[in-house]
Amino acid sequence: MNTRQVDLISCEREPIHILGHVQSHGYLIAIQPGSYTIVHASENIADLTGVEASQLLGKPIQIVLEQTNAGTDSLVELLNVGSRHNTWDTMNPYRQIIGNRTWNLIIHQHNGLILLEWEPSGDQTDELTNQQLVAQALTEVQSSRTLTDLLQNTAQRVKTIIGFDRVMVYRFGADWHGKVIAEALEPHLEPFLGLHYPASDIPKQARELYKVNLVRLIADAESQPSPIVSLPDWPADKPLDLTHSVLRAVSPVHIEYLHNMGVQASMSISLLYRGELWGLISCHHYSPRFVSFPARQTAKFVSQLLSAALEFRKDEEDQTFRLQSLQNGQALHEQLLEDGDVVRALLKHPTTALDVTKAGGVAVLFNGQFHQLGQTPDESATRALTEWLRSTNAETFFQTDRLPSLYSAATSFRDVGAGLLAIALSPDLDEYVLWFKPEQVQEVTWAGNPEKAVTVTDDGQHRLSPRKSFAAWTETVRNTSTPWSEAEVSTVVKLREDILQVVTRQANEIRLLNQRLQAAYEELDAFSYTVSHDLRTPLSSIRCYSEILVEEYGADFNEDAQLLFKKIIDSTDRMRSLIRHILYYSRMGRTELNQQAVDIQTMLEGIREEFLVAEKGRQLTIDIKDTPALSGDPVMIGQLFTNLIGNAVKYTRLNPTAHIEVKGYQANGEIVYSIVDNGIGFDMKHSGKIFDLFKRLENARQFEGSGVGMAIVKRIVNRHEGKIWFHSEPGRGTSFFVAFADPTAQ
Amino acid sequence: MTDVLYVEDDPNDADIFSRLMRKLDRSISFTIIDNGFEALDYLTSQGKYLDQTRPMPKLVLMDLNMEGISGFEVIQQARQTESARFLPIVAFSTSDSPTDVRAAYEAGINAYIVKPGGYQATASLLSRLYDFWLDNNLCLDSR
Repeated sequence: MNTRQVDLISCEREPIHILGHVQSHGYLIAIQPGSYTIVHASENIADLTGVEASQLLGKPIQIVLEQTNAGTDSLVELLNVGSRHNTWDTMNPYRQIIGNRTWNLIIHQHNGLILLEWEPSGDQTDELTNQQLVAQALTEVQSSRTLTDLLQNTAQRVKTIIGFDRVMVYRFGADWHGKVIAEALEPHLEPFLGLHYPASDIPKQARELYKVNLVRLIADAESQPSPIVSLPDWPADKPLDLTHSVLRAVSPVHIEYLHNMGVQASMSISLLYRGELWGLISCHHYSPRFVSFPARQTAKFVSQLLSAALEFRKDEEDQTFRLQSLQNGQALHEQLLEDGDVVRALLKHPTTALDVTKAGGVAVLFNGQFHQLGQTPDESATRALTEWLRSTNAETFFQTDRLPSLYSAATSFRDVGAGLLAIALSPDLDEYVLWFKPEQVQEVTWAGNPEKAVTVTDDGQHRLSPRKSFAAWTETVRNTSTPWSEAEVSTVVKLREDILQVVTRQANEIRLLNQRLQAAYEELDAFSYTVSHDLRTPLSSIRCYSEILVEEYGADFNEDAQLLFKKIIDSTDRMRSLIRHILYYSRMGRTELNQQAVDIQTMLEGIREEFLVAEKGRQLTIDIKDTPALSGDPVMIGQLFTNLIGNAVKYTRLNPTAHIEVKGYQANGEIVYSIVDNGIGFDMKHSGKIFDLFKRLENARQFEGSGVGMAIVKRIVNRHEGKIWFHSEPGRGTSFFVAFADPTAQ
Repeated sequence: MTDVLYVEDDPNDADIFSRLMRKLDRSISFTIIDNGFEALDYLTSQGKYLDQTRPMPKLVLMDLNMEGISGFEVIQQARQTESARFLPIVAFSTSDSPTDVRAAYEAGINAYIVKPGGYQATASLLSRLYDFWLDNNLCLDSR
């Protein structure tokens, strides 16, 4: 694709275990096990033996030390013992004085050959100190309170053992990029603690070697490595395998890397966790520095001790976070139970929904409202995200550490939300709790400026520049957050249950209230019935007996008594009508809506007929124009038009030629009906009262009425989720408009 | 032998009815029963009406809202006996509630009349009722 990609591949493929060189501070010989015939030798071996490497090839091992003061016999004996027991570890290092120097001979057998490596013995005086350090390290592992403490103290201890300028504990992430999590350094140096390194800094095959070779020393990065020469007839495709060699030369790429950092000596000690590379103790020295085999073994022992401790500590650390999450989850649960308000319980108390995960922000969509804490996308982005979540059918929860690759719109807010952990409370109501983790690159402090990548061209050969690999790393972690741990997910899933429990309980409370309301309605129903029946019965008696009195004894009454009886009878009429209207009003509020298509044309014609019969003798026309279909409760709709047309009939009574027009039309998904009359009208400034129960307008006094009719109309309109409005002027008639949802519109 | 049976527990209504019958001055015999239990006994020939051999009335006016046993129940139970199965029963009630109207029809009434609530109005109503149910309507005489 681009050169960077190609460079990366070339780095990954570099065969660093068979590079064919050794570091120049030591010497190497490889022999065949049975015959002890020399098949490989490092070219610099002449410095030790006085014999050219090419002269040694094909000869028996005895020849090597022949010209030195070291005993040849003892070397052969040593090899015999090792071969017999098939082990070399116990005899390493074998101290030999060659010339006037003491050497450590390290022997191992690998891939069909025995390798002998001589390196300087170093300073002998440290050995006791090292033993003390090991003992201290052991105590340390037992007593350190946290993993961080333990690692920090180990860094210091390793620094004391090997005396390097800088000792870092470097931890790998899931994507193999590394972070410096502990450091011991000379006071004048700039700390690297907290810095991140791209995964490509330590390529895969290097990581594999770190798992095999737990300790690795580069004594002088600037020195010229010594090539390994082989028997002339040695097959070219079988170079010496240096996997376990202590002198193995360093890959040019790595040398370049160290050079860029100004490091001249480096040592690394592997930290393994359950057989996998967990981290490295990476040691830098800014001048060449050799660390003797025993010191390296001590450091290795400390690292093994630490690796063993990691197995427990890491679990413990996870356990601590899990426990913390659990406690915070419980606190939230208590807040939910006490508070009842989901949003407040999650966001407004000392413990918040942000405390159950390592997220950077949390958003709560509940009851149509958006709330958030910390760093989250804004409301519209969050709503769009939940819209998408719904389409993924995530019924309970959803988690990802790479949201932008699943949902491209998330690219715009990856700086706060590259990772998403969401729980669905009610997808239908768009109710979610969402935790966001920022894009990882946002959290990373780079070791070196990725913008200043240097391309190194070595003899026209393109190779990966270590600094340049930052850009590649950035590419790979772009749009990615740190992953959600199992503890985070399980806490959040539990929290969802807690929230739903509270929500359900509240819903049940509402249902209970509804039941009580229902009971109250039924009581009111019974009351209305009593009013309509029990009050009407004595009223009828009053009315009837008054009529009987007038009929049977009327002749004996004077005119005043006659008038009084008429007033009684009229009053019973009014009371009867009032009672009937109250009953209607209450009935319109509570009876179930029997929604269906209404034959509005027939209904209006029926109503017109009734009024024309009742108002016989008047000059009254009721025009029925277009009657688009309506859907509603036929009884209620009938009541509504009866009342509206009835009012029009009533308030046009003073007009010699009364005209009423009823028509319907479709508008914006609604059916609007208008009832227009040329009656007395009213002043719009009193219009606020028109739908109030028992309220009658000033100029309506001369007309009979209970003041309930329009209240019934309003109630019917409300029950149908419709609208009602009007226009009127005194003396210029009134227009009423009612709007219902258009049953033909979607 | 009675033409009209009026079941009514309100004494005033019963009294007004009696007065109206006099006022109408038609040769119509009537009986008023003031509670549902007795009305049911009457219609099913039970209790004190046991063993009485008499034809059923030509019309029953049934008030619905009564103490004890309601008109609905009386009608419903009466309809289960052979003698009252096809008897013209007209609900005569103060209530105009659609629920009551429906329940009355389901119990088996032949017609539903809301009490007009006035003397004159009741007079003219009864007059029309008798014209139809006593003169025009053809009964099935179950005896």
